[in-house]
Amino acid sequence: MNERILEIMNTVLENRTKEKLTSITPEMHLRNDIGFDSLDLAELTVRIEAEYDIDIFEDGIVNTVGEILKKLESKYESFSQRY
Amino acid sequence: MNLFLKDIDNEKLVTWDYLIDDINNTSIYNPYCKSADYYSVFKHIILSLLIDEEIILLDSDFTESELINLTGRSDYIEFNMPIEKYNASSVSNQRELLEKLSNSSKKWRITLFTSGTTGIPKKVSHDFKSITRFVKVSERNEKSIWGFAYNPTHMAGIQVFFQALLNGNSIVRLFGLDTKDIYTEITNNGITHISATPTFYRLLLPCNETFPSVERITSGGEKFNEKTFKQLNQVFPNAKITNVYASTEAGTLFASQNDIFSVRPEYESLIHIENNELLIHRSLMGSTGTNVDEWYNTGDVIEIVSQKPLKFRFVNRKSEMINVGGYKVNPLEVEEAILTLSGINNVRVYSKSNSVLGNIICCEVVTNSSQITESSVRTFLQSKIQEFKIPRIIRFVDELTTTRTGKLKRN
Repeated sequence: MNERILEIMNTVLENRTKEKLTSITPEMHLRNDIGFDSLDLAELTVRIEAEYDIDIFEDGIVNTVGEILKKLESKYESFSQRY
Repeated sequence: MNLFLKDIDNEKLVTWDYLIDDINNTSIYNPYCKSADYYSVFKHIILSLLIDEEIILLDSDFTESELINLTGRSDYIEFNMPIEKYNASSVSNQRELLEKLSNSSKKWRITLFTSGTTGIPKKVSHDFKSITRFVKVSERNEKSIWGFAYNPTHMAGIQVFFQALLNGNSIVRLFGLDTKDIYTEITNNGITHISATPTFYRLLLPCNETFPSVERITSGGEKFNEKTFKQLNQVFPNAKITNVYASTEAGTLFASQNDIFSVRPEYESLIHIENNELLIHRSLMGSTGTNVDEWYNTGDVIEIVSQKPLKFRFVNRKSEMINVGGYKVNPLEVEEAILTLSGINNVRVYSKSNSVLGNIICCEVVTNSSQITESSVRTFLQSKIQEFKIPRIIRFVDELTTTRTGKLKRN
């Protein structure tokens, strides 16, 4: 999942002609470390939702890569528990 | 030290004394103002008032083609003019400056641009009276310290600027800063007032700290949800939270503590409701260069809550304008820009609701060129239109299938 999230983030960065990332770590801050602004965060949430069917900012803004991964993991855990 | 402006992004720390010296020593004026430096924009506005000349505000990120569309040119050097009479009566201190500002401005106008409904942004001019209609100058406001959270060349930013300026307040830039810098600036400068879009506040949250210095939080431009409201109450425990309804054409018109707006009795005769749409009287408007009818259609659909006193709630917008984090985007303008790229056969711009910005711009593109990719369209548009107008999601389709509100077209 990390690889795919990295790819999605790089698509967002590339579309803004911003520098791409080579790797991501959970403690990376979306705005301060990666350099996303509000337009990028808006795009990121749409792209992640299109693939994982979850709006990562639905309950307020998340700040780090780790918080995104946690949201996605918890959704998929509850999914596998149910089925 | 009596602070006028602090802008850490441009490394500016300007006192009122410095501002006054700087104004007294300025010998050239140009009515066109386009700068990313907040101080230059503010100084330019003050100067224009002192010499009673028009000022035309251009967004610092307008592209060359936008400038040509809006003003017929992209270079304004030939409009430089020497400042003559003014120097003879230069100001010596803040009190004198404020007095002069309040009494000046016979022919002064401030002109800015707003996304028009026809595809071309339109020009709106205000005189001193209309731009300061809602400015409250009082002893109580003397000590206010403003967190400046708007673009300085947009209507909301100008209104905050005048509120702060005419009360002799300090302004601290918050717009465009990182969240942690915003919180540091609030604490270090003891900011008491913030006016911003709901998107600005949403990006500040969640936050576990509290900021007791803030007394007033104002929000406008798009709907504020209950959850953000509650979180803000916790982060700013001493702040009164107010919603305002404002537009570039008319400035701030109504304020409320929740989503129900009450109309002050003196304005009741100046607003009118027709087919649930809010109409405002032309006496409340800036001039738009075209002949306006007596009543102006705001495009905002409202629901009446009570007739006497008149109270209402906003339901949605009638027009096709898309509100992206408080910025209005005209889909027609974006479509026109995309169609200038060769290889594009057809395009439809629409909005999609979004948890960060309220709405984001998307588009469907019909092309038969393999050279056209999402990133090539986006890169092309960066030289054509401002960043917030550029579609964030581009879908390539054989034929257009959605309407502008993002609904599937039914044949």
